[in-house]
Amino acid sequence: MLVILTFIILFHVISGILLFISTINNAWWVISAPGGSVIYTDLWYSCNVTCLPVKNSASTDAAYLQAVQATMILSTILCCVGFFVFILQLFRLKQGERFIFTAVVQLLSGLCVMIGASIYTAEREGFTEESLRKGGYGSSYVLAWVSFPMTLISGLMYLVLRKRK
Amino acid sequence: MLTILALASVVLLGIVPQQSEAIVIYTGWERHALVGSDIRLSCSFFSWRWTSDDVTFSWSYRADGARDAISIFHYTGGAPYVDNKGPFRDRLEFVGNPGRRDGSILLKNLDFGDNGTFTCDAKNPPDIVGRASSVRLLVFEKVPIQAGVITGSIIGAVLGLLLLIVVIYYLMRFLVARRVFNLSVSKHGKKGKGKEGSQQRQGPTLSIGDPSKLKAAASEKKKQESRKDKK
Repeated sequence: MLVILTFIILFHVISGILLFISTINNAWWVISAPGGSVIYTDLWYSCNVTCLPVKNSASTDAAYLQAVQATMILSTILCCVGFFVFILQLFRLKQGERFIFTAVVQLLSGLCVMIGASIYTAEREGFTEESLRKGGYGSSYVLAWVSFPMTLISGLMYLVLRKRK
Repeated sequence: MLTILALASVVLLGIVPQQSEAIVIYTGWERHALVGSDIRLSCSFFSWRWTSDDVTFSWSYRADGARDAISIFHYTGGAPYVDNKGPFRDRLEFVGNPGRRDGSILLKNLDFGDNGTFTCDAKNPPDIVGRASSVRLLVFEKVPIQAGVITGSIIGAVLGLLLLIVVIYYLMRFLVARRVFNLSVSKHGKKGKGKEGSQQRQGPTLSIGDPSKLKAAASEKKKQESRKDKK
């Protein structure tokens, strides 16, 4: 029981950390300019040597960018809340019952990541300015997509887990 | 001792405002407007002195990219003087109330060339030391959404909805549990009365004792069963 518990908690914490990094690090889109400098951009700043706020972030064109920001923040919040709910349920549940509340929160968090990453993939052209269009997906983007199956599996594990003595 | 403290506090209160007797001017930080619309730029001030009759307001404008600021409005001696030669001639109107420390101006029919910084400076003699305050005007074709408005509203709406669902769920559970508890309490009450009734009937006549005894035994059994269920 203790081994399973440690594994599940570790899994949850790792997915939470991945979500944090993906949300905060500004590396969803990487442009390697011909001059040799590398520009990392999205979700919050475009960084070269100095960081400038993402252009157009105050107009209706950036509505999709703001939606991605919102869903990523939501998924991170839900993952953290899910962790606390899990600890709470660990001490409050009766024997043999399932951690349904935790599972629901984790699944919602996974849903939010998926929504955020999908919107970013689909609408990236709309809110990136012309000079930054050519490039490749960065590390934060990959982390966001990786944390989606992790939160999904974590939620399903909570759904299957039963409380033992 | 107390009198000394009281005297000291009065003296201090008397001294402190005199030292910080600077006038504080408030305007907005940034104003957004559509092309062709009107906008009211507000300017107000805070001063420890009463509003004097010689209060003055003056607005100056520095276009985006220009180096110098030009004066476009001045209120002094109880009369407003608006721009009649510069970029705002016939477009500027004084809508403030100097008696209430309000020196706001109204700009009509805005254009893209009106992007810039507007500075308000107010003086309330003898309170003349202060820093002028600036408001930036941005003119757009269509009104922009400020950074973070959509983000904040999505997050707030979803979290609020989740909280509501959780609260409703626990409320339903609590109500259902209470209903079950009330029902079981009323059942217990009825059974108790039934038992008393059968015992009374047993007293006077013994020939009908058997069915009433059976009844009592049955009700006793039912009571025990319900207790077991509750456990």
